[in-house]
Amino acid sequence: MEFLSYFGGVFEPLAFALLVGGTIGGLILGATPGLSPTMAVALLIPFTFHLSATQGLILLGAAYTSTVAGGAVSAILLKIPGAPANIATALDGNAMARKGQGARALHLSFLSSGIGGVLGVLLLIFLTPMLAQWALAFGPSHLFWLAILGVTVIGTLDSKSFVKGLLSGCIGLWLSMIGYDDIQGAQRFIFHDALAGGIHIIAALIGIFAIPQVLDMFAKGRSKVKIEAIDVPQHAFGDSVKEIGRSARPLTIGTVIGSIVGLIPGIGGQIAGLVAYDQAKKFSPHKEKFGTGHPEGLVAAESANNAMVGPSLVPLLTLSIPGSPTAAVLLGGLLIHGIFPGSDIFDRNPEVIWTFINSMLIGQIFMVIFGIAIAKWAAKIARAPLPIMGSAVLVLALFGSYSVQQSMGDVWIMLSLGLGMYFLEKFGFSAAPVVLGLILGPIAESNFVQGSLIAGAQFDGNWAQAQYFMTGSLNLVLMALVVLSIGYSFLSHRARGRNASVKSGEVQA
Amino acid sequence: MTASRTQHLVSSGGIFAIALFVAWVSFTQEPAEAFLFPRLISVFFMAFALWNFVRAVMGLSKVGEGLSGDTVKAILPGLIVILIYFFWAAKGYGKVAALEGHWLYDWVRRGLGFYTSSTIAFFTLYSIYDPTPFSDGRSWIKRVIVTTIFMAVIYGLFALLLKVQTPRGMIF
Amino acid sequence: MKTLFKALGLSLAAATMGLAVPASADEYPSRPIGVAVSYGAGGATDFQARIVTMVAGNEDMLGQPIYILNKPGAGGRVGWNWFADEVEADGYTMSAYNVPHFIAQSIKGGVKYSVDSFEPIANWGADPAVVVVGKDSPYNTIQELVDYAKGNPGKVTLSGAGLFVGHHIAALQLEKETGAKFVYIPTKGGGAAAMKAVIAGDVVAGINNLSDGFRAAEAGNVKVLAVADLERNDFLPDVPTLMESGYPVDNASVNFRGLMVPKGTPQDVIDKLAAKVPGMFEHARVVKRMKAGGSPLHVMNREEVQAMWAKRQETLAELLKGL
Repeated sequence: MEFLSYFGGVFEPLAFALLVGGTIGGLILGATPGLSPTMAVALLIPFTFHLSATQGLILLGAAYTSTVAGGAVSAILLKIPGAPANIATALDGNAMARKGQGARALHLSFLSSGIGGVLGVLLLIFLTPMLAQWALAFGPSHLFWLAILGVTVIGTLDSKSFVKGLLSGCIGLWLSMIGYDDIQGAQRFIFHDALAGGIHIIAALIGIFAIPQVLDMFAKGRSKVKIEAIDVPQHAFGDSVKEIGRSARPLTIGTVIGSIVGLIPGIGGQIAGLVAYDQAKKFSPHKEKFGTGHPEGLVAAESANNAMVGPSLVPLLTLSIPGSPTAAVLLGGLLIHGIFPGSDIFDRNPEVIWTFINSMLIGQIFMVIFGIAIAKWAAKIARAPLPIMGSAVLVLALFGSYSVQQSMGDVWIMLSLGLGMYFLEKFGFSAAPVVLGLILGPIAESNFVQGSLIAGAQFDGNWAQAQYFMTGSLNLVLMALVVLSIGYSFLSHRARGRNASVKSGEVQA
Repeated sequence: MTASRTQHLVSSGGIFAIALFVAWVSFTQEPAEAFLFPRLISVFFMAFALWNFVRAVMGLSKVGEGLSGDTVKAILPGLIVILIYFFWAAKGYGKVAALEGHWLYDWVRRGLGFYTSSTIAFFTLYSIYDPTPFSDGRSWIKRVIVTTIFMAVIYGLFALLLKVQTPRGMIF
Repeated sequence: MKTLFKALGLSLAAATMGLAVPASADEYPSRPIGVAVSYGAGGATDFQARIVTMVAGNEDMLGQPIYILNKPGAGGRVGWNWFADEVEADGYTMSAYNVPHFIAQSIKGGVKYSVDSFEPIANWGADPAVVVVGKDSPYNTIQELVDYAKGNPGKVTLSGAGLFVGHHIAALQLEKETGAKFVYIPTKGGGAAAMKAVIAGDVVAGINNLSDGFRAAEAGNVKVLAVADLERNDFLPDVPTLMESGYPVDNASVNFRGLMVPKGTPQDVIDKLAAKVPGMFEHARVVKRMKAGGSPLHVMNREEVQAMWAKRQETLAELLKGL
């Protein structure tokens, strides 16, 4: 209970102002289509120079949590996720908004973010030593199987067509291989210099989601039929709170998956939302409603996103291993102030670290309060006429993709992928599997290559690789999950196909 | 409305061609160790693309509304503006060595700068897709005001608050 | 007619470009200067670059602030390719260099730069490579590890941050001088991922940056067995060099970090930078922050860096010949 004695630090005037300012600013940046959390946090680093270690960390921490939560706003209202973490939110959240339940979706999203976030930080406070050991249990072979497990989700994710979903995933995996291969240094599929560094996930995310939306808005533009981007009628906040109270199952699934995924360094926390969405779907009695504007998927995805934040700091603070790109930036912020991560960090710098963690706890609550206020305001902006909205999103997409690495090459990549995705979507392909492939490809590959090299040294004979990747209890458990996941997807698709063919006389596979 | 069978044929045929190309590159490029993973993925890519293509040939592809002539006509002006906009914002990017030194090329390559080109692009796109008739004088004033406010917000956010260094062109 | 158009165009172009004509050294710098870092935000090069450039805006330094541009990818190749090929040589875009990385990559080929593509300004840091093992590892000295590797060729795995970076060079030198056969495991994601592999026991040993090794050892997660440098380091006075341990590995793998500009930058701009920048690196606030961050500061002027680059080019060409 040592942490309780450091709550005072959070309420010092400047620290508190930074916490509130960072949360509100982060929410607005996150809610703006085209702007990503990684970018926001990286751009904030120079500011932390002028602050003390505690203040700098409070600012970065507040921005870290609130940008991810804010990303849900544009995901729900415009179907443009602010971060890879919000992709799953867009699936059902936007469908709800289109049915006129935007306010309800926004309430549920912030409430579940807050609940997941608080539980995640509590895990960080009470279980850090134990969790640090777990984080280390995942070696290259396990990370490889985890990535494959993630790939199996592709088939069932937001695809009206099974084969087109898998094909979209393959396109994403292929895109992820473009550029210099980081391990061998070989050049792969580099048709233009802009591709040498590979496709940056944020540039891809902006292009794949925002550009098709822009073109769709333009396609309806000059007609007078319905000019507002989206209408968001009021929804009683009390009802949303009651609804969250009844959503124990997706909340639990989201929090547990978010915490585990956040803990494992190298998976990056970017897929927490998608995996949670997929699991919530598999465990739900209303599977068929997912994708049509069903709140369960939204609650699972958003609670996972923020539950991930606390545990992702465990390997960072104790082992100096950042679990996500944003966490890497946080590590830089720590080192600049001479605070070295280590298992004794809580003894060496208690006032800095505990104040920081406490600020995240309080920040989660602020995030819910301000988030709902900002969502109300964002909903008003979302009523802007389509021509304005389309043009604005386009300009933001240019600025957003440029700012990540200050590279014009990223802007062209963003536009090319966006145009490509627009045409693919018209033929039944979907965006989420492409991004998932793009995220998981490098994880699967680098761990496969490293694992193979280690296997060659650890075991003898021709079956060294098989021995390394397929023995050991954790490997076996993960492999079993992969098999289960594939089998489940296949069976449910067959069942769905049969139902559909009975109804409409044609297979919707 | 769903896309016509021809459109499905063309789109899935295109994807299949890309898959073949990826596989060809993966299996012919060296060093082999670096292309091990691409080879594995390209096999799956090719298999799924073939499956999809066969479905299209058999007329089983049903999802996706496809592209109608009206849609293409509606987005085309916007697309052209977008391409010009990105090119002009893109100062100093993508050299054409053969043209270097020519005054026109050098002049075009300087670009307009991020904020100038964004202002023009926003205003143009908004004007093109605003359903109010062009003869309505008051709508032009409204468009100018909206553009000014939007660009002021963008400038405040990126240049003043986040201090992002954007490419400078001839003007701003 | 054609000449008329040309004249018109020229005057128009001159009029519109008037503001952006490269300024002379007296006025330089008249706007903020960018420093491209070929690694991601939060990495060692990035955060050191941010520290050493933080006083650039002071009146007695450059008088204009420096901002950092991250251009990560492919072990630094992406950033340096961009810097060699795309950047205007007007002094308003500098880059951080990492030696031996960029020299080794240019020798290996497939990139657009070599030592001759860049002009060094000054060096700020030297981060030697260290050999680390997990805290529960049976090896307590570098000799024990090397002897085991000699007895079991191809059984000792060494993690490091990618191919043709300082860590890889150190591993190659160690193999060459000891005659032992190691398995070098390049990791994606830089030194942090390589360190994780050591702490988690995925690999037998690892090569990492001294600054990261020092921090991990302080935290009790690893044991540092040896330093690949000419002399012991102030941060780890008890750790022997490889030379002391009987393996003649020199400082070719030490990660030197500094600033450079592209070839073709006006000489007076280079001179001005070369005169001002070393003083900027030695500013009291920079020294304090670097020390707090556990990052060894090692300031060298332009002439010293030129000599160091030439020497590295020679050593590395020799070492990488057979690969």
